[in-house]
Amino acid sequence: MSHLGSAMLGALLGTVIGTAATVAAQTPAAPTKNPYEGNTEAIQAGLGVFRSKCADCHGVDARGVRGPDLTQIWASGRTDAGLFRTVRHGISGTEMPAIGYRSTDDEVWKVLAYIRTLAVSAAVGEVAGDAVRGEQLFRAQCAGCHRVNGRGGRLGPDLSRIGVARPRAAMARRIRGGVEGFQEGYEPVTLTQKSGQTIRGVKKNEDLFSVQLMDTRERIQGYLKADLREVTADAESAMPAFGPERLSESDLNDVIAFLSTLRGFEAIVK
Amino acid sequence: MRACVIRRVGLASLVALAFVPSGRMAPVAAQGSGPSPATTSAPGAITVQELEAGLDERGANWLTFGGNYANHRHSPLTHITPDNVHRLALQWMFQTGTLGDFETTPLVRDNVVYVTGPQNVAWAIDARSGRQIWRYRRELPPNLTACCGLVNRGFAALGDKLFMTTLDAHLLALDMKTGAIVWDAVLEDYSIGYSATLAPIVAKDKVIVGVAGGEYGIRGFIDAYDAQTGKRAWRFYTIPGPGDPHFGTWAGDSWKTGGSSVWVTGAYDPEMNALFYGTGNPGPDYYSAGREGDNLYSCSLVVLDAATGKLRWHYQFTPHDVHDWDATEVPVLAELPMGGQSRKVVLFANRNGFYYTLDRATGKILLAKPYVQTTWAKEIDAQGRPVLLPGHVPDEKGEVTCPDLRGGTNFWPPSYDPRQRLLFVNTRESCGTFFGWKPEYHPGERFTGGAMQSDPKAYGALRALDPTTGERKWEFRFPTPSWAGVLSTASNVLFTGDNEGNILALDSRNGALLWRQQLGANLHGTSAVTYMVDGRQFVLVPAGTTLTAWALPQTARP
Repeated sequence: MSHLGSAMLGALLGTVIGTAATVAAQTPAAPTKNPYEGNTEAIQAGLGVFRSKCADCHGVDARGVRGPDLTQIWASGRTDAGLFRTVRHGISGTEMPAIGYRSTDDEVWKVLAYIRTLAVSAAVGEVAGDAVRGEQLFRAQCAGCHRVNGRGGRLGPDLSRIGVARPRAAMARRIRGGVEGFQEGYEPVTLTQKSGQTIRGVKKNEDLFSVQLMDTRERIQGYLKADLREVTADAESAMPAFGPERLSESDLNDVIAFLSTLRGFEAIVK
Repeated sequence: MRACVIRRVGLASLVALAFVPSGRMAPVAAQGSGPSPATTSAPGAITVQELEAGLDERGANWLTFGGNYANHRHSPLTHITPDNVHRLALQWMFQTGTLGDFETTPLVRDNVVYVTGPQNVAWAIDARSGRQIWRYRRELPPNLTACCGLVNRGFAALGDKLFMTTLDAHLLALDMKTGAIVWDAVLEDYSIGYSATLAPIVAKDKVIVGVAGGEYGIRGFIDAYDAQTGKRAWRFYTIPGPGDPHFGTWAGDSWKTGGSSVWVTGAYDPEMNALFYGTGNPGPDYYSAGREGDNLYSCSLVVLDAATGKLRWHYQFTPHDVHDWDATEVPVLAELPMGGQSRKVVLFANRNGFYYTLDRATGKILLAKPYVQTTWAKEIDAQGRPVLLPGHVPDEKGEVTCPDLRGGTNFWPPSYDPRQRLLFVNTRESCGTFFGWKPEYHPGERFTGGAMQSDPKAYGALRALDPTTGERKWEFRFPTPSWAGVLSTASNVLFTGDNEGNILALDSRNGALLWRQQLGANLHGTSAVTYMVDGRQFVLVPAGTTLTAWALPQTARP
């Protein structure tokens, strides 16, 4: 390499890329679904790959450091096939590199199988409750704030994909009110105006000088802090706790059974 | 060692380049035999004297990374004051049209802005109107090994040439009038982990650069190139080789992949003819079994003779670092009354959470004091060595250490006001959980041996530090840590940014907020610069994909 000018190097690279493209064209299409999903051995191997190649940017728990959070990536609508392409080829013009020629396609699938375990252990296995009854309960008790497939409120998170985003136990904890902390974009906030009038809602964004929220009537609006007396981060979630007195164990099972069926609209690779 | 390759570009390809309208790079002839490109005697050429003078009161120009070689980023201009800064109005905007964000310090000369952007695109722009004069665009290979964004931190200039490093680890000289390549020198092979992102320094007749790649198992170095020809004058390896002093500070073969990159511009003292550069972390970043020893000259300040590249002195801030605390912060040169005498010193707010004042001639530690919460070292002892606290070696389970990997501050430049004797630095209060595990080295692949989780409770503050005591005079707090550098002026106005996209003007005497504007992207790793056009002071802000120019409203319209 020592005496190659960059023009020659460029020519060489061109050849290499050309060859790679030809090879790709002749290779059978990659599977659209991860052949290793749920495979314990593959997941263990994927952990090793993840640590050496991904964790530095995406974090040990894949919740994001320099790179984005990967735990909600299927819930956001990405597919196995799309994610395979991203890992295999990188995202041009960004910091996301291709995994490198030394890694086989097999390794890519294994690392995805591992990340999938951080993302969900979703509704695998038998669903205990009655999903039809669960939907009725949901429409009556939850849909005021949560939207599913285009119907329902918007103050809380859209749950159209919740079945692939959250394991059943996590859903149960959330509904019963046993979860600390707030999801970004849904932190409860109260604004006190100069007149003393208050506005409650969930915070969408904030900087030193302004705050943006959706109020309890679903109005989205920004306010300049200079016009406000106070901005208070509320301690209590806008989501009420549904204890056993409001939702029996059997009702809870039915609601979760319904939620577990929610896989979103047809998945589209973003 | 890889030979340095210089290619002169013939006249024909210069012409071809100049007339490619879309900015797409024309193929460059492999060998040129045309006449030698323009020399420094061209009208309007930038002289060494001008560069060494730094910022002057007429203030029409901004000619080097830190405004002056001492990296003060402190302008003598006084048109914009604490009383009128709230009247600043947008004069023009310039959009890059590329993916990725500015981390650059624009240069300004004779009413023209010379600015580098992401993906190694660069422009000359009319400083009056924001209209493009020329654009250079490099065709980059697809498998770059830049760790942290396809960024560039700016030009250096001399004569009628601009100098720019590239993501594929070249140093280019461009014709200031056309943006065409005058010469192209290869620093190293990008495919094995080298890249280059810093703004070069011109030191007399030489162009000084360093290489990035500390997360890819490189062996770092600082190079000097002849500004006229692009021929390499010297190389200083930031990791000693066999037979060199301090070679024994690396166990086994670990020196070959030990990192110690140089990705932030240093300072230059023309009188001493000495360069002051901070060096990056040793590699692998977190897993250090196998690289036992102090790992010199990683996480250090190295002071080199600019004529020869020989080491004058060094000081290692973090011996055997395991937290990715590159010492690639911007060193500031100053003169301070300390110990009953006026001393020439180096000011250095380090990523490891300590602030240092060092004697400029000897490297003796005059002061070392935490400026943010630090949990890893009790203090810096009289010999300048940190007194370590137990429990701060990353492992499989994770160890909590403050500051986190991004540090108490980082590569965003501070400013220094010599009259108030205050260093203005954007600081971070954040802890992290560091994990370490054994990595495998493959050329051109990441080689970090671990990862980190940040504490979500992190916040930031712009702090005014007294460099004679390390005491804080005032602070301005941010809800999340800022990535912005600082520009200050002789009229006590200070410009910086927050992480949420606001550009802020503060009173540099007390930190009071004077003006702010939401830009839609944060100032990242750089600061505003300021210059004069037609008798008016402009403030130029590179943030996100947009360059905005601000000035006080014109009193009369022509």
